[in-house]
Amino acid sequence: MLNKLAFRNMKRSARDYLVYILTMTLVTALMYAFNSLFFQNELAACFSLGGADIMAVMIGLATFFIVLIVAWLIGYMVRFMLEKRSTEFGVYLLLGMKKKTVSRLYIRENILLGCIAFLLGCVLGVLLQQILLTILFSMVRMEYRLHISADRRTVLMTALCYAGCYVLALFRCRRRLGKMNIQALMNARRQNEEIREKHEGLKRMILPLSVFFILLFWAIFGKLQNALQILLFLLGLVLTIYLFYTGLSAWIICYVRKKGSGIYQGQNLFLLRQFASKVRTMQFTMGTLTSLFTLALMGASIALMFSVFENTVLDDKFPFDIQIFSPDPEDDFADERALIDALELAPQYYTYQIYTDREIQVNTWLLTHLKDWGTKYRNMDGTPDLPEIEKMLSHEIIYYPFDTYMGISDYNHLRIMLGYAEIPLFRGEYLVQIKPRLCGEAQDIGKDLRIADASGQRLLTCAGVVGDPFSQDGHNGADYILVVPDAVLERMTPFYAELAVSTEKAVPPELQNSLDALQESDEDLPFSYMQYYIETEDSGTRQCIGSDNIVSYAGACLVRDSLIPMLKYILGSITLPLFYMGLVFVCTAMTVLAVQQLSDSAKYKFRYDVLAKLGLGRAQIRGLILKQIAAYYLCPALLAMIISGKMILFVSNAFVAATGVPVAASRFFLESIALFFGIYLVYFIVTYVGFKRNIEEKPFSG
Amino acid sequence: MRDYIQICDIEKYYGNASNVTKAVDRVSFRVEKGEFVGVMGPSGSGKTTLLNMLATIDRVTSGHIYYENTDITELSESALSDFRKNNLGFVFQDYNLLDTLTIEENIILALTLQDEVRDIGPDSPSGPAGRRLGRKQKITRSCDEILRLLGIEDIRGKFPYQVSGGQKQRCACARALVNRPKLLLADEPTGALDSRAAQTLLETFTHLNRAMEATILMVTHDAFSASYCGRILFLKDGKIFHELIRGEKSRKAFLQEILDVLSLTGGELSDVE
Repeated sequence: MLNKLAFRNMKRSARDYLVYILTMTLVTALMYAFNSLFFQNELAACFSLGGADIMAVMIGLATFFIVLIVAWLIGYMVRFMLEKRSTEFGVYLLLGMKKKTVSRLYIRENILLGCIAFLLGCVLGVLLQQILLTILFSMVRMEYRLHISADRRTVLMTALCYAGCYVLALFRCRRRLGKMNIQALMNARRQNEEIREKHEGLKRMILPLSVFFILLFWAIFGKLQNALQILLFLLGLVLTIYLFYTGLSAWIICYVRKKGSGIYQGQNLFLLRQFASKVRTMQFTMGTLTSLFTLALMGASIALMFSVFENTVLDDKFPFDIQIFSPDPEDDFADERALIDALELAPQYYTYQIYTDREIQVNTWLLTHLKDWGTKYRNMDGTPDLPEIEKMLSHEIIYYPFDTYMGISDYNHLRIMLGYAEIPLFRGEYLVQIKPRLCGEAQDIGKDLRIADASGQRLLTCAGVVGDPFSQDGHNGADYILVVPDAVLERMTPFYAELAVSTEKAVPPELQNSLDALQESDEDLPFSYMQYYIETEDSGTRQCIGSDNIVSYAGACLVRDSLIPMLKYILGSITLPLFYMGLVFVCTAMTVLAVQQLSDSAKYKFRYDVLAKLGLGRAQIRGLILKQIAAYYLCPALLAMIISGKMILFVSNAFVAATGVPVAASRFFLESIALFFGIYLVYFIVTYVGFKRNIEEKPFSG
Repeated sequence: MRDYIQICDIEKYYGNASNVTKAVDRVSFRVEKGEFVGVMGPSGSGKTTLLNMLATIDRVTSGHIYYENTDITELSESALSDFRKNNLGFVFQDYNLLDTLTIEENIILALTLQDEVRDIGPDSPSGPAGRRLGRKQKITRSCDEILRLLGIEDIRGKFPYQVSGGQKQRCACARALVNRPKLLLADEPTGALDSRAAQTLLETFTHLNRAMEATILMVTHDAFSASYCGRILFLKDGKIFHELIRGEKSRKAFLQEILDVLSLTGGELSDVE
């Protein structure tokens, strides 16, 4: 009998809480698809770093947070349904059922509901997994053949995560059920409906305070100096998020009580009261939803940043099919060439040298003029802080210790290899070849540099600053290289050697490892190179990497067809889990909003019936429903947008500056909002349609 | 007195072709302006259906209902909403107050839904002084006036759950009357009240009927409540089978007369007080 009752109740709950079931199904499907990456040996074998699969680590981390949030959702729903059905449980107790039996009945119902969502989710998950793997494989330029089958380990792991969520959620609920008595159960709903208004005048002040804090947050976020300030600020932000709603509802209540003129227009009074009472009763939940939206928006934006990076900048980072650095300027790369020759790739080799004049004027100019460095290497009066610059150049592997130069004939030969047009250079001129992202900032560099000609007597003039992608993460200079007439090189010292290779055939990715194995250890470095590094303490490699941060990759050997897929895989291990988390967070928050509105429709039906009796037409009532749901849905979303907006813009500005992705910083924010509102709209429409149907089921109950 | 509301031969059928229930069967009557009419009948006699049709929240199967010159059976759904808003007031057994609004706000809402605020008394906002007032002031004055008239000024700031049933029902009356409706429809208004609160409410009805010339149509199965009416229509199986007019009779005598009629119906309304 109890089983039958649990089954019937579950069927009823499934109808009432369809949105919840659908979300749980989607969450299971996502869990299944992402968990399957744990057991995706093919990719992990290709791209594991030091034996650890970075994707598995990141997904594991994301799963941890997702389990917590989904447990919160289940816990919330279980408590919510319990409240809605408290009278029914009171009746069970009145009929003589034991508390234990009732709690077991309820838990059984929930587990049954969970099982259905789980099974549906696994089926959907198998399909989703195929989509995910196709995306991932195409990202790393590998072929994926569709293979629809349920993997036992994935199912088991998904079941474990899912069960973990339930255990966490139901454990709390059981305690709650144990404490309830008949009286409390019977009265639970009535208590819920009472509106308590106390100290509203005081509470109202929280709203301007919250708004002030948000403005302050916009003004000084990014200028925070130390961990304590950041911690205090985050604390303030969390408080603002949670207290904002108390302030908002108190402010509305005070406005209505004061009889502000707005309440005398149309249905405003009804809407304001309805909104204030709903926000009041679930202010804490609203705060949590805002936090979830904020995190989701931030996650999606960061994921978008990396995804734009990998689609735009990454290819430019490795313009040559193969490029090899050698600290020995006289290196002829014989071993490397032999290795490449053996592969029959129809290669075209070009060996050249990078020179130095043992000056640091270009390095100094960049360190004192680029936004990246701010005023770090400047004195108070704006002049370069030379001791600090010299210290930096000799200790850090960002810029080479001396300026780097290249001859015009080498430069143009490399340009032709890359498919660029040759650049003519007259005898008395020089060029600055710089990374695309720094090209704009370095336009004036020519005014300040004093580069002597071959004789050392006259100065060269700057013929321009070129920003074509040119492999400048330590190969053709770090960030920049000065291109001078070949004759000028005669007064300079060879610094290091480079080999650039273009091939007609695709390069096998394994070549990277073979070339890396050829690299000489530090002890074998020639004296000519080592002398510059006499003070350098760190670094296994003697190669510098340039000023890129956030995403930078430097290596003595660069095999494009091996590195790009590997970097895409690493970037994918950041973007995919972030999208995964963002999606689950948004769906969780939307489910809470939707279920709240839909399950309250009995109460709303009564209210709208009364309005109909007061003379509101069907169209007006529909408009009112739309406004009510929109206000309720938009409130946490807008607050989350305002809060996350500042952080996202700050981070994306830094990202654009550091990586040089060719897009406006605001694009990431706007795109994640578009993505967010896409999901939002689906839930909104489902809620609106369900709500309208519930209200209009029987037009009036007079 | 000319006819104010005319109900002409209305019928209401439920069900399908094979199984038809006649809830209201060819009912006709008239209501004069300022009349207090009661409709009595046992459960299932069709009195609530009749009231719902008069209230425009249910459609007639056939027949016509005229409010002055308007035949509401011919109106479209949106026109009916406007008609309801401008001409009718409702008082129901379960009060139908909005729980998120205070007593005062429940009344204000009824006013704000109107395009124009109408007068409710001699010194009303639409009187000579009232014409100069803004919408907000007009609404405030109308609201204050009706709260005073119904004696619920001191609970104006309270929520429905904080006041008694009688007070709730008086608030419902205030809300129903604040727009000066052509007709106040009351469906078992004393059904959920104790006898003292019921008496106070019915006295309020009588007062409103006299002081404000409010036209009231009340459905009840309670003879005591009905005895406050000026005229009573007795409904059985969807048809009017008797009519009583109070005239100059005392309320007690009228009550006795009602009880006599009820006893003829076979004691189906035996739960009278």
